[in-house]
Amino acid sequence: MKPIWNTCLSKLENDIATSDFSTWIRPLQAIEDNGQIKLLAPNRFVLDWVKEHHLSKIEETIRQFGSDKIQVSLEIGSRKSDAVATPKKLKSAERKQNRLNFINPAFTFENFVVGKSNQLAKAASMQVSENIGKAYNPLLIYGASGLGKTHMMHAIGNAILQKNPSANIIYLHSEKFVHDMVKALQKNAINTFKDYYRTVDTLLIDDIQFFAGKERSQEEFFHTFNTLLEKKHQVVLTCDKYPKEIVGLEERLKSRFGWGLPVAIEPPDLETRAAILIKKASQTEIELPQEVAFFIAKRIPSNVRELEGALRRVIANAEFTGRAITIEFTKEALHDLISLQDRMVNIDNIQKTVAEYFKIRVSDLLSKNRKQSITRPRQIAMALARELTSHSLPEIGDNFGGRDHTTVINACKRIQELRSSNVKVSEDYSNLLRILSN
Amino acid sequence: MAAQLPLQFEFKGDQSFADYFAGSNHEIVAHLQHCCTGDGEQLIYLWGGRGLGKSHLLQACSQKAMQQNIPAFYYSLQPNLPDPAVLEGLETQEMVCLDNIEHLAGNLSWENAFFHLFNRLRDRGQRLIVSANCPPRQLPLTLPDLKTRLAWGLTLQLQALTDQERIVLITFKARRMGFEIPPRTGQFLLTHYARDLPSLWALLARLDHASLAAKRKLTIPFIKQILQA
Repeated sequence: MKPIWNTCLSKLENDIATSDFSTWIRPLQAIEDNGQIKLLAPNRFVLDWVKEHHLSKIEETIRQFGSDKIQVSLEIGSRKSDAVATPKKLKSAERKQNRLNFINPAFTFENFVVGKSNQLAKAASMQVSENIGKAYNPLLIYGASGLGKTHMMHAIGNAILQKNPSANIIYLHSEKFVHDMVKALQKNAINTFKDYYRTVDTLLIDDIQFFAGKERSQEEFFHTFNTLLEKKHQVVLTCDKYPKEIVGLEERLKSRFGWGLPVAIEPPDLETRAAILIKKASQTEIELPQEVAFFIAKRIPSNVRELEGALRRVIANAEFTGRAITIEFTKEALHDLISLQDRMVNIDNIQKTVAEYFKIRVSDLLSKNRKQSITRPRQIAMALARELTSHSLPEIGDNFGGRDHTTVINACKRIQELRSSNVKVSEDYSNLLRILSN
Repeated sequence: MAAQLPLQFEFKGDQSFADYFAGSNHEIVAHLQHCCTGDGEQLIYLWGGRGLGKSHLLQACSQKAMQQNIPAFYYSLQPNLPDPAVLEGLETQEMVCLDNIEHLAGNLSWENAFFHLFNRLRDRGQRLIVSANCPPRQLPLTLPDLKTRLAWGLTLQLQALTDQERIVLITFKARRMGFEIPPRTGQFLLTHYARDLPSLWALLARLDHASLAAKRKLTIPFIKQILQA
């Protein structure tokens, strides 16, 4: 039989409203065989919708171009092979070889840029990849979104696979664990599910905060976790905060997650951000001038993903126009992002945020008051103004009660020293950086 | 003589790249087209005001991808969101185009479903193209993880057309609909009536209908007469 679905599509495109056609009809994949047309919908929702609203029209069109005898059926599925690592698909003998590990080869230790903010996490991760199940178990990497936790996890996986390509290792997001469990329960296959996750040598599980409030999944994960640890198999977890702070997570899980080594990843400093940009650009064989890297890094203060997004834009624009990447060019390419950043972060805004954070008044920051409870926030605010705005040092000084630019230099130096030696100052600075950049 | 009653045909523009008037948005079109060949960026975030053709471009992407035998899914979010189950299993599609994602901001179950879809697509190396009315940072999302993920892709801002470009577009569109609008008439429409594209297309449809009914060419006096009626 001559394939007729494409002909039907052209007819249906004329008969059905454009956005309806794009959403419900075009994604249907047809398998034509022996007088039958099987239409595959990506999910139950689409299937039900098509059945209710469009199936009669589809059948009528198929008959018009084919014959009355053609049978039309609708199913959930995809013509391309569904490469999900579902437990039922793998026989135990094949499991080790066939398990899809979902490790992204692009994320390695070599292309992870180290700075003060993440050096401990990287060192611990490397240790774990070299001494599986022995160094730190579990390893918990925590920190705000977009700082490289997932990169670190994949890097562990890649390092393990490099040494042992048949290593029994899996990376997954916590939501997939929940999803697979629900599916296994529905299909009465919970034992296969348990067996699947409890037999890995290394389990890398991302964003465990999404277990919050899901009691049954927590229970199952608790047992998986215990089994793996008893067997001295490695578990690596990431979380957007220290687990003790997660609301809706069972106490026994919170305490177990802290058994091994919890390491934090902080927002990268200016130099590290610039280094990240240069490294990322070099991965696409682009040599990013240092002044451009600092220009972008200064405007995108706390988030590596956003930093990458900005770089992507600059490179895409340069490739399209064929122009060299200079500061002027970068300003043009990122004009909307920069103007948005400038609108969001200015000296007034920094002073207001710092004053609120330390529960003092903005007028205190501008005053001559030399009490430490005022001078420290003032120094922090000056350092933030230097890091986050493009104002000159005299301008910053001027905005802080008419101070001299040397006062600003001293304040910045002092805060830089304290961020290395004083945990409280380091935390306050990181928190303020995050508040101001989101 | 009674006016002739024209058949009630809705003009169904082809939502393809060929039918999109890019104006100063050539670069954006090039990036989107590249993405539809199974190459190029994994995530494109397209944003701009109403009537700039975001929906047209996303539908063009899904159309072009399907022409290349790349399974693609297009979905336009509206203020009344359905069950987020519509996003389930979409990672089997090699390209997912989600239009107007500003509507899911603030709806936690949708944000969660979209966040998880994002991760599944990323883990499989599938492509995602989204559109919104503002840049990722300004989307009032509850999940910070979702916001940073959206900022990770190639963010492109659609520029509004200049008046000169709008006139060219009016003539182009009218021709596609089967009638002529000279540039001078286009200029007249722009200075006397709505300037945003959705209103202009509604206006063109009305003029077309009236012109067919009266069997008259669209002169400026005739247009005035139609629009005063």
